[in-house]
Amino acid sequence: MCGITAIFAYRSNAAGVRSEELNAITESMRARGPDAGGTWISTDARVGIGARRLAIIDLSAEGTQPMFDVERELVIAFNGEIYNYRELCASLERGGARFHSHTDTEVLLRLYRRDGERMLGLLRGMYAFVIWDTRARRMFVARDPYGIKPLYVSDDGGTIRIASEVKALLAGGAVSRAVDPAGVAGFFLTGSVPEPFTIREAVRAVEAGTAFHVDEERGRGDVLRHESVARVFRRASMQRPTAHLTQAGVALRERIEESVAHHLVADVPIGVFLSSGIDSSALAAIASRLSREPLHTFTLAFEEFRGRHGDEAPLAERFAREIGAIHTTRIVTREEFHADLPNFLAAMDQPTIDGVNTWFVSKAAHEAGIKVVLSGLGGDELLGGYPSFANIPTMMRLARTPLAWLMSFSRHPKKRLLREYGGTYAGAYLLQRGLFLPHEVCVECGNASCRCRSVEKRRLASPHSTLDILERFEAAIDPDPGTPFGRIASLEASLYMRNQLLRDADWTSMAHSVEVRTPFVDIALLRQIAPLVLEYRETGKRVLGSMLPPWLRDRPKTGFFVPIREWMDLPPDGTTTRMRSWARSVFEATAGA
Amino acid sequence: MRVLLLCTDAYGGYGGIALYNRDLAAALASREDCEEVIVVPRVIPTTPRDIPPKVTFVAGAARGAVAYVAAAMRARRTKPDLVICGHLNLLPLACAITRAPLLMTYGIEAWKPLRRPFTTRLVHRCNAVVSISEITRDRFLAWSQYAGPAHLLPNAIHLDEYGIRPRRADLVARYGLEGKRVLMTVGRLAAEERYKGFDEVLEVLAQLPDDVAYVIAGGGNDRARLERKAEQLGIANRVVFTGLFPEEEKRDLYALADVYVMPSRGEGFGYVFLEALASGVPAIGSKHDGGREALRHGELGLLVDPSNPAEIEAAIRELLARRERRIPAGLEYFSFEKFVERLNAIVTSPA
Repeated sequence: MCGITAIFAYRSNAAGVRSEELNAITESMRARGPDAGGTWISTDARVGIGARRLAIIDLSAEGTQPMFDVERELVIAFNGEIYNYRELCASLERGGARFHSHTDTEVLLRLYRRDGERMLGLLRGMYAFVIWDTRARRMFVARDPYGIKPLYVSDDGGTIRIASEVKALLAGGAVSRAVDPAGVAGFFLTGSVPEPFTIREAVRAVEAGTAFHVDEERGRGDVLRHESVARVFRRASMQRPTAHLTQAGVALRERIEESVAHHLVADVPIGVFLSSGIDSSALAAIASRLSREPLHTFTLAFEEFRGRHGDEAPLAERFAREIGAIHTTRIVTREEFHADLPNFLAAMDQPTIDGVNTWFVSKAAHEAGIKVVLSGLGGDELLGGYPSFANIPTMMRLARTPLAWLMSFSRHPKKRLLREYGGTYAGAYLLQRGLFLPHEVCVECGNASCRCRSVEKRRLASPHSTLDILERFEAAIDPDPGTPFGRIASLEASLYMRNQLLRDADWTSMAHSVEVRTPFVDIALLRQIAPLVLEYRETGKRVLGSMLPPWLRDRPKTGFFVPIREWMDLPPDGTTTRMRSWARSVFEATAGA
Repeated sequence: MRVLLLCTDAYGGYGGIALYNRDLAAALASREDCEEVIVVPRVIPTTPRDIPPKVTFVAGAARGAVAYVAAAMRARRTKPDLVICGHLNLLPLACAITRAPLLMTYGIEAWKPLRRPFTTRLVHRCNAVVSISEITRDRFLAWSQYAGPAHLLPNAIHLDEYGIRPRRADLVARYGLEGKRVLMTVGRLAAEERYKGFDEVLEVLAQLPDDVAYVIAGGGNDRARLERKAEQLGIANRVVFTGLFPEEEKRDLYALADVYVMPSRGEGFGYVFLEALASGVPAIGSKHDGGREALRHGELGLLVDPSNPAEIEAAIRELLARRERRIPAGLEYFSFEKFVERLNAIVTSPA
């Protein structure tokens, strides 16, 4: 895992790349890659590339980045893991390609040389990379379909700057810190900043599943959308007859096990984040069976929950014993939380209301000397585990009845808006997932607690003027996935999971130099099982459950809670979790300045 | 030893399973201790030929269900030492003839539980189960929980009947393949199953250069839909449907192909891969069904994920660029001699 940087002064009248800026951006991401680092600037100073590396595959110096190909014509900075790189390497070698290392990074270079942008369809893994082609004098920038690895771009019309973190781009000193009201509004509406917006006006996310070229003088070319969750579900809705060939449970199990096997490729020991939930437990069970080395498992525990229903630690300990894992229960106290809070907020790349749990569980992995950890993240999005899969269709049906009109007099703010928003997938999703509602955020700065305008005026403003949040949500289901399940799964995977869960997993783990891998968030797995999950909705979770002992499988589902309310002195905000108050304080501490 | 083989088709039948049953009968008949192999077929699509000595082919059984049961019951009177049940649907009949039949499993018919729970229970009475591939064996064992011996007996290829041949000019002209590079899939076009991967290849073809044509060789009820699809993709002029072709033309048909490609999802084994390879045509098969075993996990051909168009396309481009015809040495693994050896190891043990 790594942090990467690229600067390309593509217009001839733009100033050349300064090594101080390139170094400052790259070095600000030292935690992402503590093992090695380097920068390269072309002799004419038009292009600079930098990388910090956390060595996972091929620990030797041959894996150091930026990396050149054998001909020294292509240079790459790459953040991520390509799980099928050995297979791709074999295919390239059959075609006569030569390699000087045994890394997935070099496979990307050879693949780009052979296939150009077509290469992206062949990659199984998480990635964000930049390739500079010295012959064509053109840069290629790409990001994985799920957006597991982050990548940000700032283009001033003459120079393009790219990095793994928004903060890193600012650290270079050449990118404006001006706050983007659209990003702020997005944060207050959803709890995280929705792509492609960021909290800074001058910085945009390279959208998940897209790629583009940057040419001399012309700058950024057309955006290539190489794959999306919605597109996979659309194809799957036409492949449904193939779902009946074999017993759904058997086929799902085969494919999920294959994905886990791919995610175990590493030259370092591997751990698993274990809650007592079905997804992470099934993941640990498969991984311990497939792994040659003993597996390390990590569970968080809080004094506040000890002995209560929400305490997962005893169950996780028992399960870890049964699968023969080396288990750590990491107890986090109020004192430790407060001691870590400044670092937590400092490491946070963009404001988010989540991430405390992955922060501490990554810390636990780091303390145990584990660099790679599997997470059950994404199981609910893939197999329809969230309440939204049932709630959204219900809301949409309800919105068309007279009951919705009656509900507009309800005291519950979301119920009141059912008639206005509940009629479409995007609107119903906003009601399902929304933190604040559009009329609660300021039209000017996007903040939910600003002093720009009177409360009266803010209530009239809906939706937010610079960020049409519903339009962002609609984009997640374009092309139309074709089925209600496909639409909700696409919304969950492209919004909540991408902007919140994956983002938080990335920055919190990187802050502890730990790589999180997500076998349930794998585009190849999705392509393979999408027809099956459309046809057999209930089977997915059952298959995972069948891998667990009954005492773990048959208990009622509990959410995973971090006792933020107990730890922080948050003012009441009309919610039981006080997440709205937490959002305000996070915002003050990170982007407010 | 007297053997009774209850099967769907054998002599005079099309396709991989009919051939498998013919090989099975011939291999059993070649044993010194074998007096007779009685083959009872459910259907006989064309005139049966080349029935070996010691094999009794009960052609009358194919007249209908009643005739089939009657023929099987008559065969019972010969007191067979071994009853082979050639299809799961025939298991009740096989169990009426003997206490413990030997069950053959090929492909999707054995990949999920049967509609009739009664037949499922009968599975446990089988003496042993023989599967054409690991995937069929594993999927069968997963739902049936069968605990007896489970053997593997993959398809055989008669290498001497194939070989690298020049393209037959009349076939090139008939199908309009002059100057074209040809992709080919051989198989039944079944609307209810759709597992051969025709759709997947059509979608990829649109991305390939114009001189690449696709020959779909086989008959079936899904042709109209596939023709419409080719039209919608704007590649109708590059797709050739041969329809059901005469068996004598098969080898010359393979000779037309530059790449054999079948990104399937439901092949128990994929005998057609062996035919293509034996004709010197490089092959692309599926990672997710029996094709991967026919291609020896990548040793004999390229394997792709049928759900990923980019992988299919890359594999086709790789083999088109290679432009070579050769019969891989590893194909010997599936020779008829090896088939006989494997069968003898299985049949001596339960008998």
